[in-house]
Amino acid sequence: MPSPQNDKSSLSIETTHVSDRVVLVVSGRMDAENAPEFEEKCKACIAAGHTVVVADLSGLTYVSSMGLRSFLSVAKTLQSKGGALRLCSMKGLVKQVFEITGLLQVLSVYESVESAVL
Amino acid sequence: MSVPGATRSLTIAAKPAPLSAVTEFVRKGALEASLPEARIGELDLLIDELLMNVSIHAYPDDMPGDVTVTYSVPAPGELSVELADQGVEFNPLKTEPPDLTLSLQDRPIGGLGIHLVKTIATSLSYRREQGWNRLTFGISAGS
Repeated sequence: MPSPQNDKSSLSIETTHVSDRVVLVVSGRMDAENAPEFEEKCKACIAAGHTVVVADLSGLTYVSSMGLRSFLSVAKTLQSKGGALRLCSMKGLVKQVFEITGLLQVLSVYESVESAVL
Repeated sequence: MSVPGATRSLTIAAKPAPLSAVTEFVRKGALEASLPEARIGELDLLIDELLMNVSIHAYPDDMPGDVTVTYSVPAPGELSVELADQGVEFNPLKTEPPDLTLSLQDRPIGGLGIHLVKTIATSLSYRREQGWNRLTFGISAGS
């Protein structure tokens, strides 16, 4: 039984670049308390001129509906600029949550970082 | 091991949504019910969504109030959890389901929490009783 890990510090977002694409490596848990951090990181990428943002979710273990709001909000913003939020490598509960809410069909979802940055 | 039918309760301020405290509390029930690892994340999600619901809808704006979380283990592999509050009457089960066929452009960014709860919980019920909102859900090892 793992210990509860839903404190604010449990989300980490690292900004990297792969093949000239900005890639946010999102790890930990995303809920109401920390989802805005993801939006802030994406806003910074957009402000820097990126219209395509890749989010590597391989290390994300939990997302609530408040986290989904952030993904949707960023995806809409990027789409309005002719770009996209590309999600990749989601698994487990996170993938289940995206499936249940039908977001796998409306968001750009990739199997790997390599395919998402093309 | 739990005594069959025994219940445990935690009463705590509903704002800000006390996610960590309630999750930690209810996970004891998950342990007593011997829920498998795959169910723990789902249990966290159910608690998360329903606490947010209480925080936003039962106690809107700056309205203060408590939420009482009670769990029991009706049978091995089954956990029953009730969230009770004395806020504004609100039945989340009556909310309109989201239209999952809409395009990204047309999809609202909210309204997905209760849909997640309805899909993941093994059982779900609501009743308004003498000024209390009582939302009960079940989660089982095999759900």
